[in-house]
Amino acid sequence: MAAHARRRARRIATFAAAAVVLVALPASAQVDLGTEEQRAAGKVVYDKYCGQCHGDTGDGNGYATPRVKPKPRDFTTGTYKFRTTPNGMLPTDDDLRRVIEIGAPYTSMPGWPNLTSAEIQNVIYYIKSFSPDFENPDRYGEPIEIPRPLESTEESIARGRVVYEEQGCAACHGEVGRGDGPSAPTLVNDKGDPIKVADLTQRWTYRGGPTKEDIYRTFSTGLNGTPMPSYADSLEIEDRQHLVNYVYSLGNSDEPNYGTLITAVYSEEPIDLQDGETLDALFEAAPTTRFPLVGQITEPGRNFFPSVTSIEAQAVYNRDEIAFRVRWHDLRADTSGRNSPSLEVPMWDEDNGIGDDADDDGGDSDDFFGDFGGEEAPAEDDFFGDSGGDDFFGDGGDDFFGAADAGPPGAEFSDAVALQFPASLAPEGTPELKPYFLYGDSQNPVDLWFVNLTYGVADTFRGRGSESIEPTEADIVEAVTSYDQGEWTVTYKRRRSSRAGVSFAEQQYTPLAFSVWDGFNRERGNKRALSSWFYVYTEPSVQPATTFPIVRAAIIVLLLELLVVFLVRRRARQQAAGDEAAGTTLATTEAPAV
Amino acid sequence: MLGLNLPVVIVLAAIGGVLAWRRANTLTWLLYTWVALWAFFKYGFAVPIPQSVATIYLGITGLALVCFASSSRERLSETVQPIVRLILEPRYRLALAGLLVALPALAAYNVYADLNVPLEAPGFGREVHPPPPTEMTVHDETVDMATAENPYLHYKHDDPELYGEHLENGRRVYYENCFWCHGDGMGGDGMFAHGLNPVPSNFNDVGTLPILQSSFVHWRIAKGAPGLPGAGTPWDSMMPAWEKFLTTEEMWDVNLFIYDFNGYEPRALGQH
Repeated sequence: MAAHARRRARRIATFAAAAVVLVALPASAQVDLGTEEQRAAGKVVYDKYCGQCHGDTGDGNGYATPRVKPKPRDFTTGTYKFRTTPNGMLPTDDDLRRVIEIGAPYTSMPGWPNLTSAEIQNVIYYIKSFSPDFENPDRYGEPIEIPRPLESTEESIARGRVVYEEQGCAACHGEVGRGDGPSAPTLVNDKGDPIKVADLTQRWTYRGGPTKEDIYRTFSTGLNGTPMPSYADSLEIEDRQHLVNYVYSLGNSDEPNYGTLITAVYSEEPIDLQDGETLDALFEAAPTTRFPLVGQITEPGRNFFPSVTSIEAQAVYNRDEIAFRVRWHDLRADTSGRNSPSLEVPMWDEDNGIGDDADDDGGDSDDFFGDFGGEEAPAEDDFFGDSGGDDFFGDGGDDFFGAADAGPPGAEFSDAVALQFPASLAPEGTPELKPYFLYGDSQNPVDLWFVNLTYGVADTFRGRGSESIEPTEADIVEAVTSYDQGEWTVTYKRRRSSRAGVSFAEQQYTPLAFSVWDGFNRERGNKRALSSWFYVYTEPSVQPATTFPIVRAAIIVLLLELLVVFLVRRRARQQAAGDEAAGTTLATTEAPAV
Repeated sequence: MLGLNLPVVIVLAAIGGVLAWRRANTLTWLLYTWVALWAFFKYGFAVPIPQSVATIYLGITGLALVCFASSSRERLSETVQPIVRLILEPRYRLALAGLLVALPALAAYNVYADLNVPLEAPGFGREVHPPPPTEMTVHDETVDMATAENPYLHYKHDDPELYGEHLENGRRVYYENCFWCHGDGMGGDGMFAHGLNPVPSNFNDVGTLPILQSSFVHWRIAKGAPGLPGAGTPWDSMMPAWEKFLTTEEMWDVNLFIYDFNGYEPRALGQH
């Protein structure tokens, strides 16, 4: 009965919506291109704030374009990703306004909170003037209605998981949503630019926003110009809502909640890297901190679009040893190539679309992943560089990725990770002093615990600046690695005391920094994702009791209070007695000096 | 506005107004002053101020209030009278008992909260605009920091067209190199800024570009983090030494552009 009624209601609603469209469109009420003055005012704002990326002619080809990914929108095409309108249609002014106001997270599109509402409207009019589509009433669609999200019950999430499997979401987004589906490495947008699949477990990176309403909108309208389709026709509204709940359940926060320090917890247990279960149990007890990673853009080998934007880290220690565990997401395991912190990257790395020919526009997108750096043979049409030789995925690899001819050749460079510590700590009581966070400097070297994930063992290097990174064997660092469903896990272990490097004493703040290389993104050497200096704090092995100081504070305050009460009352009594003796009475009690 | 959390400030002021209207007694005023100051420090600023600073201010204020209250015999007796009445008069017995329990509980909670503050990385002092050297060498040319000026600035009046060309070149350099950290709108809030410590310079800020000579900005651009003295914590800053990547002209052009974009002029020579 209920279902029937609902269907009926939906039919009426559809009819009503159709009627609205029929009435509205011929009047072309939605075509609002603003006045000449508004567009002129919009141009002023656009030229100052937008043209550097979107191009002064709106073609998405500004100064920054070769060095950002995803590419800035080309306004001449009339293709927009984030819309409330049906697939293929133009966005509403409110859709455009939303992106201008808050931006698209983890892309080069920032929010513009300082622009006034009128300025934004004028910019919208000006942006619309770049594409003739906005004059065509047929390109306008009614915005979809976004229903109130369903409650995230277990049943709803389970139903959403079924929909996720049925609709093949995992092909791109991966089995558990880490953006590591078999097709992920092959995806391009309608301009042929490589495009990164959303990591559904990290909601804060969703380009279209992290709320359930945002997610529903993306399913229901698709992202025009990208492989992300609309499910408006293939999925009932309710199923889309269940899918929203499932996708939402894959992450646990709208915010990355970046931290600044790892707390290393003490354990009596031995740390055995080969005993996975015990190791997992040890780390279960240690808090996890997420740290932001950004591209290394200070030294040659500048990395403008690092694949990995954050890393999670934990630490445990016992009497003799300390262990670190780091985790990050990567769309595929590149374990066939080479990598090292000191691998040379050309001064002007053509992978970044920069260099002498950056000014002529042709083919920037084509050589996105190509390498013209000089140390390797040029590979003209080859998206991912090297197609021969040490190519793990080249022949058998096609099966691995499912799609026979779309499968990319193997990466020339392998995934890798490094922890970085100062080689020595500044003596207690001296001013703050650390090595340069980019591989140290000549006076203050750093130690790198580097793991090339092709080999899965830790190599130690001593860095005295980017030009001076030497292998060292002063300390033995062990490591185990694993790749599972789009996530790398690397666990390191070393003796706490060191003869040549930093020792991890109890209750010590030790600076540390991270580097991650994604071979797929041709990251190697100084072309890497890195972090600033953070800290690891070795928690005291014996935790001080907390009850005692709390009770002590309460008792001290109480005793003080009682003392005051006692003194005041005694004084009053004495005074009363004194007054009686003097034979006078005071109307009010005189205040004693306390 | 002014970096203040306005609703909090308004509420605090309103409470003060009510107290004035009700002709509150001296003790209430003293308590109000201290608690309002505490609340202002804790909740009144958009960007939290360091705990240690707040503690110093509150300590000094507390002392001042005690001095004020005990400055004369009359004022002292006026101040403590409500307390004495609370302790002595039988009708306040319940309130007294409540206070006797509440204060130790507050103290206990304070200690508990202190023990449970999440660990933070140790802080450190950093000089934001450390003194520049007296001279530096950029691309084999010696730049006298005291007298050097942006060589293209005068075109603004002498040759606006040429000035425009230098600006446009500066715009190109900025958006090819700088905006990842310093931001599209130059608010120091580029897409990599969240991962950096110290955060990139905010060029919109009236306390940054306008108080600096263009030679200082040139020094920061050319020498970057590695050229900072120790007080500027060069090991933490991501600012590249742009002389490695850019020509001298490009560096002066981008210098010109960041001033022009924000509508500022460099501090003139000899101006203090």
